Amino acid sequence: MQQSSREMQGMASSLNGIPSSAGVAAAAAQIALQELHNGHRQQQIQNPSMQVPAAHFDHSTAGSEAGSHDDFFDQMLSSLPSSWPDLGNPKVPWDLTSSSNPNGLAGKSPEESATAAAEGLQYAPYDESLLLASRLRQHQISGGSSPAGKQMLLQLNHPHQQQQQQQMLLQGMGRSPVATSGGDSGLLPMPLSLGSAGSADSRLLVDRSRDELDPSFRSNPTGGEGLYNGFGGSLQGGAQAAPQQHFHHPQGPSMPAQNFGGAPSAGVGQAGAAGGGTAPPRQRVRARRGQATDPHSIAERLRRERIAERMKALQELVPNANKTDKASMLDEIIDYVKFLQLQVKVLSMSRLGGAAAVAPVVSDMPSERLAVQGQSGRSGINGAAGNDSLTVTEHQVAKLMEEDMGSAMQYLQGKGLCLMPISLASAISSATCHPRPVAGNGGGIHHLNPGCLIPAPPPSNHNNPAVGSGAGGGGDGPSSPSMSVLTVQSAMANGGDTDVSRTSVKDAASVSKP
Amino acid sequence: MNRKNSNKSRNPNKPTLAFYFLRALACINKKTSMASYNQRSGTIKRAAYASMALAAGPKRAWSRAVLCRVLWWGSSRLHGFPTRRRPRAFFHRRVRVADPKLREPSKADVLRRLVPGAKAMDLSRLLEETAHYIQYLRAQVLLMQNVVGSVSD
Repeated sequence: MQQSSREMQGMASSLNGIPSSAGVAAAAAQIALQELHNGHRQQQIQNPSMQVPAAHFDHSTAGSEAGSHDDFFDQMLSSLPSSWPDLGNPKVPWDLTSSSNPNGLAGKSPEESATAAAEGLQYAPYDESLLLASRLRQHQISGGSSPAGKQMLLQLNHPHQQQQQQQMLLQGMGRSPVATSGGDSGLLPMPLSLGSAGSADSRLLVDRSRDELDPSFRSNPTGGEGLYNGFGGSLQGGAQAAPQQHFHHPQGPSMPAQNFGGAPSAGVGQAGAAGGGTAPPRQRVRARRGQATDPHSIAERLRRERIAERMKALQELVPNANKTDKASMLDEIIDYVKFLQLQVKVLSMSRLGGAAAVAPVVSDMPSERLAVQGQSGRSGINGAAGNDSLTVTEHQVAKLMEEDMGSAMQYLQGKGLCLMPISLASAISSATCHPRPVAGNGGGIHHLNPGCLIPAPPPSNHNNPAVGSGAGGGGDGPSSPSMSVLTVQSAMANGGDTDVSRTSVKDAASVSKP
Repeated sequence: MNRKNSNKSRNPNKPTLAFYFLRALACINKKTSMASYNQRSGTIKRAAYASMALAAGPKRAWSRAVLCRVLWWGSSRLHGFPTRRRPRAFFHRRVRVADPKLREPSKADVLRRLVPGAKAMDLSRLLEETAHYIQYLRAQVLLMQNVVGSVSD
């Protein structure tokens, strides 16, 4: 036995690096199962809470647990370094790409640095714009060198447009690029009307600057001064618009790439045409019907769309997901996650077959009965008497259920029993099954539909394989009984999807269908 | 980009999951010295979560958080530290994305508590992590049911 265990260890460690191939994993699974069987053949401590067929799962009650931790965690840790970086260091971010933000482990540092970098990028253009705006105003006051101002403005707009284009086309909607595009979008209102009214003026400003670039070379001071007045007013509006956009940044508005993809290209196209357009600008982004062009509402809309899309994906995963309301859908999701976690807990307990451990799961009085049966079942004391009464009870409840659920529940309550979802019940029952040669009991489970009565003990297969398996595996495989019980069902229609549960597993929990 | 991530890492790799979990189970069962059922069930539960997280890979926030929690707890038990202390203190981000437009603050918070590693995430990312987590949870539960079924036959 020791040798086989060592072999398995060796095989397992050698398989560390190649866990992905199904064949290898299947071999490992086989070996693991054999190991489970072999290891417990030695100690035949009759633990009745677990169905113990000839050479299977056995549990010894002696000893400490520290040693197991060593091996188990060593195994886990050994497989970690191959694929995962340093796990123990919470500061080291595992994935610094903008696509996946490591929130849980890496703490604030990468997040903040990314956003800080993005913010830094944003601030630069704003400083420039403000600087140029102030300079232009000065020029307006001094009343000279209009072409210089226009050139400055053009320079300001062009590189930013190029930046924006590159960023938006290349980076998509990741988080940091969103911040930068958001940052640059603040500038966009200057050439394009995506912002407030002030931006419209600034747009006019740009257009006029481009248009007037050629004619300004003819040094038309009067027209230039007139333009400057317009400049001053619109610049103030533009300068105000820019900081407004700027302040909204930290909230991270995300702009749709399509709008900006179209707009900058339109803007640049216009500029390249050098005065092809007349004074009224053609760069205004046409809003879709019924939707505002305000960047914040656009960001809101995008965020809502993303959330709706994720909710739809979740709807497919979670059963009973026909709710259209977001709140109730979230409730369903929460319940389902709790249910799955509870199942993991129960299934891990079921391996031990500890009825005392299972007892906390069942919150009602049946827990006592369950515990009693589990512990005394070892000696098979409770055998026949309990089974008979349970069978009778089950029949009674089935009859009552046909008429009225309320009365059925009251009857159960009076008896100190409860209903549970099939999967849970079968998991528990497989854990709590006793090695009693009670053949007739297997039928008891099949009569009940949406759940089974706790603590109806499942058939003990290892003593009566014929009957147990013939009964459709009523208590054995937790995956199958949910199907077999349903098929046998005649009393209730469509019991499969409904469950009546009075335990801590909530009402919304459904029979888990794979 | 988000779409690509969500589609690729969708389906849990069941053989990998089975491999990790069964290996851990075998290791646990080999250790014939168990103090109590509760301890052993706790160990098995942690083994289940650890194998789930290992199979999920480091790209998900929940898998990282789960693994950290499991390993920290295991090591703390080895060294005799009290196990009530959770490692949330230095993983927990106090700065949360406070969105006034979030219509379900309470429910989202409940979900945040349930899904490991999802303490400070906006709703869309939280939903994505939840979907992934649910997939892996289901795979793990099915695996455990199969193991129980096969062993109890």
